Amino acid sequence: MKKWVQAFGALLVTLIAFSGLIGLGHSVHAADDSLAKVKSRGVLVMGTSPDYAPYEFIINKDGKNEVVGMDVEVGKAIAKKMGVKLEIKQMDFDSLLVALQTGKVDMVLSAMTPTASRAKSVAFSNVYYKAKQYIIVNKNEKDLYKDKSSFAGKKLGVQTGSLQADIAKSQIPTSTQLGLAKVPDLILALKSHKVDGIVAEDPVASAYVQNDSSLAAIDGKFNLAGDDLGSAIGFPKGATSLVKVANETIAEIKQKNLFPTYLKTAGKDMAGNVQNTSMLHYWSYFAKGVGYTLLITLLAILIGIPIGTLFALMRLAKNKVVHLIAVSYIEFVRGTPLMIQIMFVYFGIGLLVDIPALVAGVIAVSLNSAAYVAEIIRGGIDSIPVGQTEAARSLGLSQRQTMQSVIFPQALKNIWPALGNEFISLIKESSIVSIIGVTDLIYQLKVVQTATYKGVQPIVVAMFLYFIMTFSLSKLLNHYERKMQHDN
Amino acid sequence: MTTSPLMQINHLVKKFGDNVVLNDITETINQGDVIVVIGASGGGKSTFLRSLNRLNSVTSGQILFENTDLVGLSEKQLDKIREKMGMVFQNFNLFPNMTVLENLMLAPMKVKGETEAQAKETAKGLLDRVGLADKADVYPASLSGGQQQRVAIARALAMSPDVMLFDEPTSALDPEMVGEVLKVMQDLAKSGMTMVVVTHEMGFAREVADQVWFMDGGQIAEKGTPEQIFTNPQEARTKDFLSKILSQ
Repeated sequence: MKKWVQAFGALLVTLIAFSGLIGLGHSVHAADDSLAKVKSRGVLVMGTSPDYAPYEFIINKDGKNEVVGMDVEVGKAIAKKMGVKLEIKQMDFDSLLVALQTGKVDMVLSAMTPTASRAKSVAFSNVYYKAKQYIIVNKNEKDLYKDKSSFAGKKLGVQTGSLQADIAKSQIPTSTQLGLAKVPDLILALKSHKVDGIVAEDPVASAYVQNDSSLAAIDGKFNLAGDDLGSAIGFPKGATSLVKVANETIAEIKQKNLFPTYLKTAGKDMAGNVQNTSMLHYWSYFAKGVGYTLLITLLAILIGIPIGTLFALMRLAKNKVVHLIAVSYIEFVRGTPLMIQIMFVYFGIGLLVDIPALVAGVIAVSLNSAAYVAEIIRGGIDSIPVGQTEAARSLGLSQRQTMQSVIFPQALKNIWPALGNEFISLIKESSIVSIIGVTDLIYQLKVVQTATYKGVQPIVVAMFLYFIMTFSLSKLLNHYERKMQHDN
Repeated sequence: MTTSPLMQINHLVKKFGDNVVLNDITETINQGDVIVVIGASGGGKSTFLRSLNRLNSVTSGQILFENTDLVGLSEKQLDKIREKMGMVFQNFNLFPNMTVLENLMLAPMKVKGETEAQAKETAKGLLDRVGLADKADVYPASLSGGQQQRVAIARALAMSPDVMLFDEPTSALDPEMVGEVLKVMQDLAKSGMTMVVVTHEMGFAREVADQVWFMDGGQIAEKGTPEQIFTNPQEARTKDFLSKILSQ
């Protein structure tokens, strides 16, 4: 009992220390030197979720992935006005505001609607583009629906946290909503009749309808009023100098009536994307994804094993403080989802040190794996009879030599299958790093979905690629397991 | 036999909570002595033996080995002492992940810093001595119990110890294998090795021991030559124990 109280206390102290770190972040923007900072750096960092054509999406240009679209043009114009270069960071829509608050990006330009609740934590520019809200439906059901009133009692697909989610809920009260993070996933849901329609802005709806003959779009005739509709650019609270430049740029774009041109360019890029939608054409996307997934897994294994071993030995140590540190770490890491740990490392620790997404992903996955490896290794060491230690010590071997030469090699053999399982699940679990924009296989799968307007095929390809990776690793591990079987 | 004291045990006490396992033992082990410790289970024999190289912690008292008191030494300091005190266990405790030869070579190389060639030469000589030269490259799992215990003895001898401690070395063996192990131990005794042997093999005690210690209730209840103990025991509990064990 006492032990538990101690462990819980240690946990609390750790948590308070962490939240203290995050607290520091709020004071970052006390004085507005935001524009000066961007200028001295020479780079304006734009955060966006490029799964929302024609606003922002990905094309393959000369073998390289490039984010393009209307929002990117707006971003370029602002950067040009500031006299700096534009850098684009890709991540999930849900992660954008966190990235803004934690200084990962200078602005969020991702067809974001300046709602009142968002405005509490974000400084918005003026609205740069207002779009009508459409509802995408299956073409063969088009005649069933006239406008939003036809969807009473129906199920609607919406992007989570979006304006569309809000208006679907408030203006069609009898409907139910399925919220998903990405439009391509919503389209899949529509085609498989999980939802009856998708609420989307007209440029997005038009893009899908043009590129997919089984879809149609109708005007939802939603009541839209006020400036909180349409898209605006998000900046950190207090960054008034940045907002000012953005507003000036928006005014100029509107004056020159550049949006139709932007949309046209975007339309061309989209057409280029769908010229060849065979999965083979996109092999380089998948190859890159496989490369990153393997890289993350390999690094996580290489880092996780020594750290896991260390924690296992600490947990077995007689020193109570050392033991308690190890137990707290292992229990805490195993008791929280990997997804949250990844976001914590990237956004939380990122407040103090600027960590690139890939590094943050590797750190989080490695530290997570270390906790599981530690428990596996502890189990392995416990499984070796105490007589082995006694025999080694009676020969004069030190505690360390005993562990290295006698106990650990035997433990490794016993735990090999369990370690193998951990490595295989690492390949699969590392996919969560895609939420912070690491271009692993899951991320690339979504990119291909967005680019080709095909939902299922990329999933099938990715599934087989994952299987090939895990199956190969499993065979390799079996090979070494057989090699270790000599002694009995 | 020489008579210089190799080990001197003074007022050794070992308690597990309120339970007194070793109750104020004071004894001397001389260079070249073969001491066989007998007694009923639970009398403290194994605890006593394991206290001699401090595999067990002790509560109080002194254990002098070559004039160093082992009580109060750190684990690191004990490592240096244990090099010189070989130990053989009831369950052999060979390292299953190493060949027989590697079992013998590990400690000389790791602890004494011998070269592989040196360690190999010594190991092969010892395997020959225990009659297992042909088993050098096999893993322990393929050996019989008797063979494993002979390897374990050779492994302890590879460190050229000054004393050998045997903790019921034949208790886990099938009866037909006991002889081969006792034979090796007997040869070792003849070579002048100082030995402390905890065993139930009364025949071995009678033939090989210089002294027999009868342990009961955490004390050396009676000691003497095999002749004295087996033919003319003085203590009632010694008589009781012997009559029980010899009638089996």
